[in-house]
Amino acid sequence: MKRRLVWFVMVVILLSLVFVGQNAAVAQEPKYGGVLRWRAVNDPPKLDPAMATDTSSSRNVYLMFDMLVDNDPDGKSIVPRLAESWEASPDGKTWTFHLRKGVKFHKESLGKPTENGGREVTAHDWKYSFERLVKVNSPRAYFIDMVKGYQDFVDGKADEWVGIKVVDDYTLQFELDYPFSPFLSVLAYNSFVVVPKEDAEKWGKEFNFHPVGTGAFILERWDHDQRLVYRKNPDYWKKDEAGRQLPYLDGIEIVIIPDNTIAYEEFKKGNIDVLPAPPDEYYEEIKAQYSHLLQERPELGTYYYGFNNSKPPFKDNLKLRQAFNYAVDREAINELVIHGRYYPAKGILPPGIPGYNPNLRGYEYNPEKAKQLLAEAGFPDGITVDLNVNNDPRHTLISEAIQAQLKNLGININIKVLDWGVHLDLCERGETQMFRMGWVADYADPDNFLYVLLHSENHGSKGNYSFYSNPKVDEMLAAARVETDWDKRMKLYQEAEQMIVDDAPWLFLFHYTTSLLAQDWLKNMHLPAFGDYTTPLEVVWIEK
Amino acid sequence: MFSYIVRKMLYAVPVIWGVVTIVFILMTIVPGDPARLMMGQRGDPETLARIRADLGLDLPIHKQYTRFLKDLVKGDLGVSYRNNEKVVDALMTRFGATLKLAFWAMVLAALLGILAGVVSAVKQYSIFDYSAMFIAISGISAPVFWVGLLLLLIFAYTLHLVPGVGYVPGDWRYFILPVITLGVRPAALIARLTRSCMLEVLTQDYIRTARSKGLRERIVIMRHALKNALIPVVTIIGTQVAELLSGAVLTETIFAWPGVGRLAVEALIARDFPMIRGTVIFMAVIFLVANLIVDISYGFIDPRIRYD
Repeated sequence: MKRRLVWFVMVVILLSLVFVGQNAAVAQEPKYGGVLRWRAVNDPPKLDPAMATDTSSSRNVYLMFDMLVDNDPDGKSIVPRLAESWEASPDGKTWTFHLRKGVKFHKESLGKPTENGGREVTAHDWKYSFERLVKVNSPRAYFIDMVKGYQDFVDGKADEWVGIKVVDDYTLQFELDYPFSPFLSVLAYNSFVVVPKEDAEKWGKEFNFHPVGTGAFILERWDHDQRLVYRKNPDYWKKDEAGRQLPYLDGIEIVIIPDNTIAYEEFKKGNIDVLPAPPDEYYEEIKAQYSHLLQERPELGTYYYGFNNSKPPFKDNLKLRQAFNYAVDREAINELVIHGRYYPAKGILPPGIPGYNPNLRGYEYNPEKAKQLLAEAGFPDGITVDLNVNNDPRHTLISEAIQAQLKNLGININIKVLDWGVHLDLCERGETQMFRMGWVADYADPDNFLYVLLHSENHGSKGNYSFYSNPKVDEMLAAARVETDWDKRMKLYQEAEQMIVDDAPWLFLFHYTTSLLAQDWLKNMHLPAFGDYTTPLEVVWIEK
Repeated sequence: MFSYIVRKMLYAVPVIWGVVTIVFILMTIVPGDPARLMMGQRGDPETLARIRADLGLDLPIHKQYTRFLKDLVKGDLGVSYRNNEKVVDALMTRFGATLKLAFWAMVLAALLGILAGVVSAVKQYSIFDYSAMFIAISGISAPVFWVGLLLLLIFAYTLHLVPGVGYVPGDWRYFILPVITLGVRPAALIARLTRSCMLEVLTQDYIRTARSKGLRERIVIMRHALKNALIPVVTIIGTQVAELLSGAVLTETIFAWPGVGRLAVEALIARDFPMIRGTVIFMAVIFLVANLIVDISYGFIDPRIRYD
């Protein structure tokens, strides 16, 4: 009897396991159909990838276009997209890409047949697309100005960009003037996509309103300031691991809702499926009630206050700059002002980016030391400094908190809240004493932070708004750009970062996070480190 | 009448020229380079120079100005720096939404406002009068964004009586809350003005005469009193219509309504000069046309007014 009971229990357990397993399998089985509604704050200014520089445009570009390569979701490596494989020459100056076969351009756009007729993409299309960037004055073409012949092509001295070669229909080659190690990462930027010549030439500047790519979704309708409607591309090249055709969704709607309160209410009502960057004012409520729908992770970005290192009082006054760094309690501001949505920063590189150094020697909160350094810097009775901040509630709140903390040490901060255009203008011209700025990676490489923001070649509009200059750092950053040995490169960056942090050209503050609220019926939705706007939607399905 | 309209329209030309010139000068003074904003947070100076040349921003100011005026005479308001959209097209697509919103808001405001004003005047110092005027003062004082949010929170997100935000042409449910939000303030203004004008008119001798002739009170109020009290009310309606048509920014923002107001604000943020100039000219024309219609309507309300 006992034996029979044991058998019975075992059979029950086995059956239960099979049943549960089947259920799990069913739960994992993707479902086709449905339309995902994604909230946007405003109408995207640019759907032409050559001209897209803002996140709202990029959200749309990622739906319709494909780059040669892509970032993995963690931003730690480069993965294939329309290039199946690639290799670099030993000197790092020649990059050869082997293209995926059978990739087709959109057959339709905005409900009408496209000029290309849905033909296959070849290396000639890639060459055309890169050359087009220069022809249409893309603000991002200069990202690859190291490709041989760039300047001649820009200046009209050459008919073609000689450094980009079509080896055969499925092989594309780039020849560089000098080895540029982040080259692969740069190619993952969303301007470096393939477009069909027939459609791009037909529409010219109007291509912005008639975008045609190879991506998972095709633009069906654009009601300005209301919504962008996409439907699935039935000829999309990508399949899931089981060989099923992607995308699963029938379509995407980018719904434009400018007001945060309303967008949040619309999400709660189920009228929208995804609310990227949930508003601060509802963050506590979201954490309490909707934490199961909240996705949040560190973003490849940094938030800082730059000192103007080319003008008094910060010029040639290391102790003053260090005093500011010791005087701010980043943890407290993060917790009390922005609900812990950032990470206190010790330096420049954000967690998650290659070369990030968790052991970086930064500045802890130490008001006594700050006071001492302030006196040694020549300001024993305190100092008054103007701080320029661009107009945003979060920036204003943080600046007020820092103002209050610094006041305890006799540092008076005059906060000037400015419109973004004015703010940027003043920063670039060096007409500030101290300014708020942030930086989110264009490409996942330390070069994009350290070289762009702190090399003396980039003073002003090219990114170094603090006008910081250290010849030794310049030398190391330049060397790292051409170093082909990965470990040596990372070492150079880490050493350079430590030198910069010791020089304190900024008040190092925070690293960003990225977040979104996604309804629980959305499956397989994963927030990447590059930000909510890069979330791949071709692999998402709706389970209702 | 015809010559009056033509004369008025000719007067409008220097007004519009003045408006566009002032806007043009302001845009050149204000810091912030549109080409720079197009590049995002960083950009190399060489590309920036090419974009500026492409937009014509490298030309001397007087050349930019004359080029702009020449295009304007041809009816060409230019192309948006921000997204290459033709300014005229952008205005036309957004104006439809704004027009519908403004029209229904004004219909609501005029009906409610005049009705409440007349009844308040006729039943002066009654409960209705006090209540109506209290609501009117609240309507004038309450900020539009607050009214809009409150209505949405109550009727859309708590009671679920109407759908949320959005612009769905043909679906009247989406019009209810924005129309009420936008109509509240003009309704309150019209109610207060109608009441005070009616009170003034009701004490006039000809009203007493009308009553003494034995006319019914309804006839006295509607035909004799209201018609004469309407002139200042019509003026207010005209200016309110012009204001609403030139873009109800807050209402459009709250209700995600794709109107002219939002277009103007986004153009300002992006330093989209052609779009800013286009929206300003558009607004100036709206105001001039609205004023002209108000002027003409005086003649119908009060036959003593002539257009010599």
